[in-house]
Amino acid sequence: MLIGIDVGGTYTDGVLYEGSSIVSSVKRPTDETNLKNSLLQVLDELVGSGEKDKLKRVVLSTTLVTNLLATRRGERTALLLLPGHGLPQQVYATGPDTYFLKGGVDFRGRVIEPPDKNEIRDVLKEVESLGIKRVAVAAKFANRNNEHEKLIRKIIEEEYPDISVVISSEISCKLNFPRRAVTAYFTAMTLKEWNRFADDIEQALKERDVEAEIHILKADGGTIPLSVSRKKPYETVFSGPAASTMGAVALTRDNLNSVVLDIGGTTTDISLIIGGQPLYASRGAHIEGRYTHINALAVKSIPLGGDSIVWCEWYANGDSAIRVGPHRKGAAACFGGEQPTVTDVFNYNLDLKLGKPELSKAKLEELAQKVRLSTVDLCDNIVEMVIDHLADAVEDMFKEWENEPAYKVWEIIHGRKFRLDRLIGIGAAAEAIIPLVAKKMNVDHFIHKYSPVANALGACVVRPTLAVEVHVDTENNFFTVDPGGYRKSLGKTGNFQLSDAKELAQKYLKEIGQERGMGEYINEFQFYMEEQFNVIKGWHRAGKLFDIGVQVSPGFINEYRGVDA
Amino acid sequence: MKPTGILFFPAFDWAISPTHPEREERLLYTRDQVFEEGIMDLPQIREYKPSIAGLKDIARVHFCVPDIESQITEAHLVAVGSALTIGDAVMQGEVKNGFAIIRPPGHHSMTVSHGNRGFCNINNEPIMIEYLRKKYGIKKVAIVDTDVHHGDGTQEIYYDDPDVLFISFHQDGRTLYPGSGFMDELGGPLAYGTTINVPLAPRTTDTGILYVLDNLVKPLLEEFKPDLVVNSAGQDNHYSDPLANMAFSAQGYARLNSKLAPDIAVLEGGYSVETALPYINMGIIMAMAGIDYSNLREPDYSPTRFRESSSNLEAIKKTVETQLAVFRRRGDTIAANRKKGGDFYKTHKHIFYDTEYIHEEQVVQLRLCPKCSGFRMINSSAQHPNGKFYRVFCISIPVNACEECQQQGRSYYKDMVNNGKFNFVYLQDRIKDEYKSMDMGTETERVL
Ligand SMILES: [Zn+2]
Ligand SMILES: [Zn+2]
Repeated sequence: MLIGIDVGGTYTDGVLYEGSSIVSSVKRPTDETNLKNSLLQVLDELVGSGEKDKLKRVVLSTTLVTNLLATRRGERTALLLLPGHGLPQQVYATGPDTYFLKGGVDFRGRVIEPPDKNEIRDVLKEVESLGIKRVAVAAKFANRNNEHEKLIRKIIEEEYPDISVVISSEISCKLNFPRRAVTAYFTAMTLKEWNRFADDIEQALKERDVEAEIHILKADGGTIPLSVSRKKPYETVFSGPAASTMGAVALTRDNLNSVVLDIGGTTTDISLIIGGQPLYASRGAHIEGRYTHINALAVKSIPLGGDSIVWCEWYANGDSAIRVGPHRKGAAACFGGEQPTVTDVFNYNLDLKLGKPELSKAKLEELAQKVRLSTVDLCDNIVEMVIDHLADAVEDMFKEWENEPAYKVWEIIHGRKFRLDRLIGIGAAAEAIIPLVAKKMNVDHFIHKYSPVANALGACVVRPTLAVEVHVDTENNFFTVDPGGYRKSLGKTGNFQLSDAKELAQKYLKEIGQERGMGEYINEFQFYMEEQFNVIKGWHRAGKLFDIGVQVSPGFINEYRGVDA
Repeated sequence: MKPTGILFFPAFDWAISPTHPEREERLLYTRDQVFEEGIMDLPQIREYKPSIAGLKDIARVHFCVPDIESQITEAHLVAVGSALTIGDAVMQGEVKNGFAIIRPPGHHSMTVSHGNRGFCNINNEPIMIEYLRKKYGIKKVAIVDTDVHHGDGTQEIYYDDPDVLFISFHQDGRTLYPGSGFMDELGGPLAYGTTINVPLAPRTTDTGILYVLDNLVKPLLEEFKPDLVVNSAGQDNHYSDPLANMAFSAQGYARLNSKLAPDIAVLEGGYSVETALPYINMGIIMAMAGIDYSNLREPDYSPTRFRESSSNLEAIKKTVETQLAVFRRRGDTIAANRKKGGDFYKTHKHIFYDTEYIHEEQVVQLRLCPKCSGFRMINSSAQHPNGKFYRVFCISIPVNACEECQQQGRSYYKDMVNNGKFNFVYLQDRIKDEYKSMDMGTETERVL
């Protein structure tokens, strides 16, 4: 027995899965002020419908961290940056408590400029005097050598034991200093709140005598144990869209190229599935206007949903134009709302008999009179606008993927072409809208009876994921490992080959996987990056550089056998 | 404010040979630096994906012997295609300017290409410029070649085109490959003064080079009024470059770029892959995007390390004065050349391809047209590394050719095909945008 719960902005969805079917599903409005209660209410309903001691795993997806960041309710955090030379330092300022420190490292991990301990101590004194208890430290090229970050952490731990510190190299070793800095900063800001939430959940489950494993859904469509998430709250952002996308994959279970449209109240989330695998955002999750190093599925959100109002804009010269969205003003008219919405239009046009259809009709007639159209024509126009808008957004999404920069001849010559096979509709409004969009785009569509709870199903049945990247520099005799930020000596460098580098990456994948309790899934890895370069001095080879990436990509746990139609 | 377009194509899977300076990791550390800085995430930057050029784009500039396919690899098509992409982005107003950080380079490739010269097979900037001239109707273009080596290929391609101002400053040809780029190389008889060379003594510093920029390049551009300014942005003037001996810095490159304000910059040479390229490329990107670059410098840089000698600065001042005067009286010189009359102006050339040890002999004839700047015919022969000897005849009708020159050029093509003395006869008709090559061995004509 498995449970998946997705606490979304509007609804909290949950499913209980057993054998090869969804035994029960629950949908309740989310109480934004108390996510924990929303979650537990759904959990209790689900647990009540099954046998508690058969429950093996509970996976939670929550907007807690996303909300903390969006509403700036995270803890006050100082960001200590060591940007060295390059862009103006101010470009990297993040939040009101950013400090710049001396200290530089280059792309080969060589120290260019040592840090200044007096300067560090002065800054820490100021941080303490402001009552700040959280510090994030990020240095340019700390992914190649993190000794400066570690030095600062050591000083803080020794001299300010009540200040807790996060260093960027332990968060990510990918290139891109500002993304690393922002990710470390967000981590420091949300650690305490997230841990409080994790405590509450553990406590609540204990009270309920539930002994199942508890996992958290990540933005990349995989899970991590709740215990591991305590150090990595940032991994939990944007898990909602990941849940929907993985839910769509779970319902289709094939290797087609699909676009998933999750039509919600105010927005539609669009994601790509290429050959059965969800696509990652090439620049990491985009939070509060900043790119991060958080692995996330590529999800484009457009301001068009079932509750988007339809209205008329009047110009000074007396002309008018019909508009759809982007605002929402409460529910659809058929559900008692004040203004006609997209849902009302489809309700009227396709005779869906949602809520009180006569209310849809009344509000639309009112609008039609104002713009001097028949209600039928008005609705036809709006349907066409909605369909065009969605179809364009889908096209943009795969054009963007096709136009991602690439850096090898082979990649350019062989190109990228997205041949769309199918649209997958998720969310309550999908059934009315998706078939029309698919028709317009001349592709198939797929809507399942469980589409409205696909997000919870996605959370329920996905497997753990992990990506490990190793950078090896044989000339300078070191390697670094991401995640974790380990930097170690290579030992033998004499005849270090690509195969050795791959073995090293695999070894760390298994070690880290074991720490994270990934079990058997760790064996289902693939290499996604294999770069090797010679270091030439004069006309001779002085060493080699390798960048290896290996991962367990998004997929499903072995217990998942699809759902009965 | 519009962003700056960046196209980064390091060709991580292409090299001339494993230890050749033009090898896979040439732009690896530039990648590390540029990506680590996070500059591509800034709203001032828009990154473009490389694309693939067509053979016709190459035929618009080059006569590849025996054919284009045998002179290029896929990497060349992508490097050229990338330059075209940046050119389109600038011309269509998507970006305010653009920088193509691409390899392989091209500025040593001449009109006729029998092989690789100075790491180059085909010339990226002229291919881009002719493409933009054809597509957007641009007339006047200025190319400023800031590579430490003389841009002899680009110079040769535009030697007889008065609508293209080619300015190259470089380490003196008596001390460095390719051994050309002297002050008296000033353009053909009808395009005199729109080729300007500034040979510089080894160890010239930021001061010397920026003096040339302020006192020669800027005034030339102001007076020439080009529709498009292209920077052939070689990075081997740097003090750490292993193949040359100059003393230019990353700050110097950034300031040069700010002053020059090119519409498009295209990377050429630069082989100090660890200690210079990452910083110079950052400097150029920042300068083009209008980002303050005062915090940028090489790890070992010290502002007092290099001082310009007063004797060198005096020499530079004299060069600048001379070249400015030459440029300003170009109208009179061209008129006088026209008056001398004659039908064709004939020159003999010997061209050496250092990479492949090819010796090419050329007889070039320029029609001294009373109405336009004429058209060119090149009789070229060379033995290729595979032992084959090629004798080819090439006719090039430029975009600004008059009716008479167009007709003559086209009829010479027929004559030379009938003549039978050549292995290949080529016609480059930029007016019709049609490129013919006749293989006399198989008697097959190919039209692009
Ligand atoms: Zn050069
Ligand atoms: Zn003429």
